[in-house]
Amino acid sequence: MRQNSIHIIITMLALLLTSCIKTYEPLIQNKDAEKFVVSGQVNQGDTVQRISISKTSQIADPVSSPVSGCVVNITDDKGNTYPATEEKNGNYESIIPASELKEGASFRVDIRLPSGENIVSDYDQINACPDVDSVYYVLQDVPGINPEIPGKGIQFYLNMEGANYTCRNYRIEAVETWEYHSAYPIEWFYNGYIHHVVPLDFSRMVCWRTALTKDIFTLSTTNLSENKYVSFPLNLVDNYSSPRLQYGYSLLIRQYALSDAAYSYWEKMRINTNQQGGLYEAQPQPVKGNMHNITNPDKDVLGFFGASSVKLKRIFVSPIVNLPIDYNPHCEVGILLKNGLRQISPASYPAYLFGDNNGYQNVVIRSECVDCLILGGTTLKPGFWPN
Amino acid sequence: MKNSLLVILLLILSLAGRAQSIDKVVAFHVKAIPFSEFCESLFKQSSVKIYYDEKLLKDLKVSVDSDSISIVMAVKEALKGTKLEVSYWHGSLVVMPGEKLLTALPDYNLKKNKNKDEGASSESLTKSEELYITGRKADVSKSMTIGMKGAAVPGTKAKIRGRILDEETGEPIFNATMYIAEIQNGAISDINGFVTISLSPGKYNASFEYLGYEKEKYQLEVLSDGNFTLNMHNAVIQMKVVVVYGDRQMNMRAKDPGLDKLSVKAIKELPMMMGERDILKVSGTLPGIVSVGEGSSGLNVRGGSSDQNAFYINKIPIYNTSHLFGFFPAFNADIIKDFSIYKGHIPAQYGGHLSSVFNIVSRQGNRKHFTARGGISPITGSIVVEGPLKKDTSSFLFSARSSYSDWILKKIKDPQISNSTAGFNDISGGINYDNQKTQLSLFLYHSFDRFSLNELTSYQYSNNGASASFGHNFGSALRGEFSLIASQYAFSTIDKQEPATAYDHPFKMEHYEARADFKHKIFRTNSLEYGASLILYKLDRGTVSPYGVESLRKTVELGKEQGIESAVYLSDVYDVLPWLNLTAGIRYALFTPIGPQTVYEYQAGLPVSTRNITDTLTFGANEPIKRYNEPDIRAAVNIKTDPNGSIKLAFNQMHQNLFMLNTTAAIAPNTQWKLADYHLLPSESNQYSAGIFRALAEYGLETSAEIFYKQTHNFPEFKDGADFLNTKLVETTVLQGDQKAWGIEFFIKRSMRKVEGWISYTYSRSFIQVNGGEEWNQTNNGEAYPSNFDIPHSLNVVINYHINRRVTLASIVTYQTGKPVTYPVSVYYVNGLPVFDYSKRNAYRIPDYFRTDFSLTVEGNLKKKKLIHSSLIFSLYNATGRENPYSVYFKTEDGGIKSYQYSVIGVPIFTATWLFKLGNYASE
Repeated sequence: MRQNSIHIIITMLALLLTSCIKTYEPLIQNKDAEKFVVSGQVNQGDTVQRISISKTSQIADPVSSPVSGCVVNITDDKGNTYPATEEKNGNYESIIPASELKEGASFRVDIRLPSGENIVSDYDQINACPDVDSVYYVLQDVPGINPEIPGKGIQFYLNMEGANYTCRNYRIEAVETWEYHSAYPIEWFYNGYIHHVVPLDFSRMVCWRTALTKDIFTLSTTNLSENKYVSFPLNLVDNYSSPRLQYGYSLLIRQYALSDAAYSYWEKMRINTNQQGGLYEAQPQPVKGNMHNITNPDKDVLGFFGASSVKLKRIFVSPIVNLPIDYNPHCEVGILLKNGLRQISPASYPAYLFGDNNGYQNVVIRSECVDCLILGGTTLKPGFWPN
Repeated sequence: MKNSLLVILLLILSLAGRAQSIDKVVAFHVKAIPFSEFCESLFKQSSVKIYYDEKLLKDLKVSVDSDSISIVMAVKEALKGTKLEVSYWHGSLVVMPGEKLLTALPDYNLKKNKNKDEGASSESLTKSEELYITGRKADVSKSMTIGMKGAAVPGTKAKIRGRILDEETGEPIFNATMYIAEIQNGAISDINGFVTISLSPGKYNASFEYLGYEKEKYQLEVLSDGNFTLNMHNAVIQMKVVVVYGDRQMNMRAKDPGLDKLSVKAIKELPMMMGERDILKVSGTLPGIVSVGEGSSGLNVRGGSSDQNAFYINKIPIYNTSHLFGFFPAFNADIIKDFSIYKGHIPAQYGGHLSSVFNIVSRQGNRKHFTARGGISPITGSIVVEGPLKKDTSSFLFSARSSYSDWILKKIKDPQISNSTAGFNDISGGINYDNQKTQLSLFLYHSFDRFSLNELTSYQYSNNGASASFGHNFGSALRGEFSLIASQYAFSTIDKQEPATAYDHPFKMEHYEARADFKHKIFRTNSLEYGASLILYKLDRGTVSPYGVESLRKTVELGKEQGIESAVYLSDVYDVLPWLNLTAGIRYALFTPIGPQTVYEYQAGLPVSTRNITDTLTFGANEPIKRYNEPDIRAAVNIKTDPNGSIKLAFNQMHQNLFMLNTTAAIAPNTQWKLADYHLLPSESNQYSAGIFRALAEYGLETSAEIFYKQTHNFPEFKDGADFLNTKLVETTVLQGDQKAWGIEFFIKRSMRKVEGWISYTYSRSFIQVNGGEEWNQTNNGEAYPSNFDIPHSLNVVINYHINRRVTLASIVTYQTGKPVTYPVSVYYVNGLPVFDYSKRNAYRIPDYFRTDFSLTVEGNLKKKKLIHSSLIFSLYNATGRENPYSVYFKTEDGGIKSYQYSVIGVPIFTATWLFKLGNYASE
């Protein structure tokens, strides 16, 4: 993690002086109208280009509120127009022939909202993206739950080598996939009737889950003497807060080459989402993207429509010998039913019960301890997963 | 007064025609004798007659035991316990029940009388008139003659220069007051102890006062121009007293609205964080001054940013006033003699910073004998050694203070912390020579800080300074002071957090100054202050260069720059009428950034960016790049409404040519300074202030209410995400706008009592507006927004309770409105990640700040003769353990939104500090 070093020092002094960080929820009343948000990009290397249109939601009640029924067109600097169709709620897709997705080509999006308002973006130009040179990890101590007992974890790094490229600004997405297991096979469950599964159902014991890491990574070589970056820190995976490293972990790197405007947008986004509250931290600022409401120019539109090229790289991390997993899913305990099975609300059917061949106990196992799908994964082994 | 008619006057002895003197000092040893016998005995010694009613005193037995006691005091002593009062009446004493005989007419009569006679020699007064004016002469026991007989030029006033010194150490006393009863006016001693006053030849009653010293009363006989020296003694018997004494003599001559003073003695008794006496943090309890927070050295004065304050120690400008990121002060409190803060009317001799001047003057060292003092706190140890080089004429002072090794850090089990090191020290020393006519002084200052975090990042910074002053009295009316000053502030940063971008960056700023200042008493009612100064600033913003073999960091030369600030000033303090005083000053400065420098021109109407460069200008060595004319008007009016009250009005103009490149409220140890240049314009401000000052003597209270309005132009506001390490072109990261601040300040102070202290309350606002027209030339869409230091309500209560002479309990209670903050007001999702949309700049506030501190000071025994006196101070900081938020921030975590508050200190902190000095309780 890149951090403001002074922040660390202050945190440190603060520790010394027993400072503290605790949750605090200020009362925020937003009287501003909802704003429209457009995000999307055209990627050299992708066949389908995606745009999403939504509205902001109140901070107290954060929900995704997509905007359906827009007319969306992507246009390039040569005058070609590529209509986008709504695939899902507020998500629009367009297919642009690979022959038009060349370096130097510029694209923008033109949107007509259901209200009739017209939103357009600035043009953004495709820059060529160098290959991801390498991705690797380093085993290290990390702050544990108890500050005096450090945990362990792996820190991922990326090396970028762009000697023959002019682009100096990049954004990196890290998509992680990990295998995880539930604690028990399915044996007894209750859904109004008691069921005894024989033979035991092991089908939901092994899952794989894929997710985008929740960090924004921006990399710039503008201030470096070469268009090259060694050991750019990516995400950190520890051994106690999740089972990610227990059975195998894979990280897919998507490296985007960005224009200056796009970099400046994503860099501000990174800073704003990574506030630490330190003494020497500048206040967050509203981030202006490149979208404009040309019907009502006074109405701000959030988001950025970019054009870039992307390069991918995947690495796989097998369970590491000297990295013991300290994660406890707490499946050894369940909920005791004092009044018998009828106590179980139908809303939580099926309820899994502890038991053995001889019978069940009136103790409910948490679902994720027998059904790995509950945690959002899939039982389908990904194609890239080693055997 | 009909009772007085009933008084049977008893003539004790014959009416002898000899001169009577009730202030005559006599030896008296009597035990349980009748009052009549006592009176007889008195008359024998002094020939003072005492009139009394025999009926009232027939049972009284008198006991007096003293080697030297004045007649009046002896009678008072004798009457102790009765309800009788002694009064002076035509050379005799009268004893009456309950009330005193009026010996003087009420004040208003006196004033009329005086105005009419303005300028007339007091010789023309009859003896009895003189008595009316001076009251009982009993207090005047010493006399001084100034000048020579026959030397006076008829019709002119004698110019008198006095020198007020500490009897014990021989050091001059700053801000002692000399009050001449006959003209109802006086003077305040300057930093070298000099007082200047013009008086017609004649006899005067002068009183001299200074905190913690015994009041001295003298009869002055003025014959012609001349000098005198007065030694004041420490008041051993008095309590250690009074903390802030700004505008102390408000019925007298302090003319500067918005002048505050802090005394070091007081600071010793106040609760302090980690036991470090921090005079700057205490100044944050005064009205109009707000401290940025714990762990930060910034102060905001009357809604100004922290780089708008000037800090001087013995004329050396100090550009980083704190140790360890602001947790501790960079000055040893033991060497401070005087600490003044100017925030309203700033004298014309000062310039260059918009908001305030914090002026620290060190002690000069004991001129009579060697002595030492020091202290031990959990963080530092300090020692001050001083003494005469040649008795009564020259002295030295040396101070050293250092943090201990990193034992606290090593105790923390977190490896990141125990692998870190931190330390600081400061050293200062001075030599002074003084032969009454000429003063020479040399002062050196050094402070150093180092900090290394887990071998990843390290900071070092240091201040170095030297000043040499030569002061000379040209006759009794003109004093000149010539000074050479050098100051340097340097830091270096090594950042190794990521090998690929590791860098080091040194920064250095030098300040060379020559100045001449004159004080000229040209007439009894007029004092001129004039002078000139020349400052050369040399900044080396340093080179950011790669650190380590793996670093790919691009080498960026941030460049060097130079500027010359030359200034002349003239200021006249004019007593127009006894109740009306005017101070009118002008300061004219010329700021010239000089080459060698390369400057770019940018396309007008487009954002200032390297893309829009149209021309390159090259300036040779010492070639002027631009000339900024900076006339400042400083004016103040002081209207005395009555002996206990005054109204003060002031208009103050300032310019500032040196800025801090900082986007945050706190001052970081790697904050660069930058001169105004071809593009970055000097800031200027106009401040209007008015205040009402009133002393409520019967309650020991001094009160004031002041209002101010301050407007600043060309306030530099840095753009969002401004990065000062990657470009030397500061003009591409800055927009200049307007700053406005206004407020009202209330202050109540109680001093010289068992329970003393002060309460200050300030309501003030501070706004910034950056609107250059185009969108790129705006901040916050061009709308005004509260500055980061807009703190509407600020309340401070400081109480010292002297339980007895050895034990003092003190407390500070601070309340402030929470700082402005920009909060996210709505959320949207990009790639499934929640992202915030933020409010207008500083539209919200973090929770309010509230803190209570206590301290208990226990002094060693009060024996007058002892080798060493020590005191123990127990401090409890943040006694309520309140977690005062420094900031509130939002994060997205695991796809959700969390908001946190960050507090630097969240628990009570207890510390014990031990202080010692050679000598007794009162010795200095």
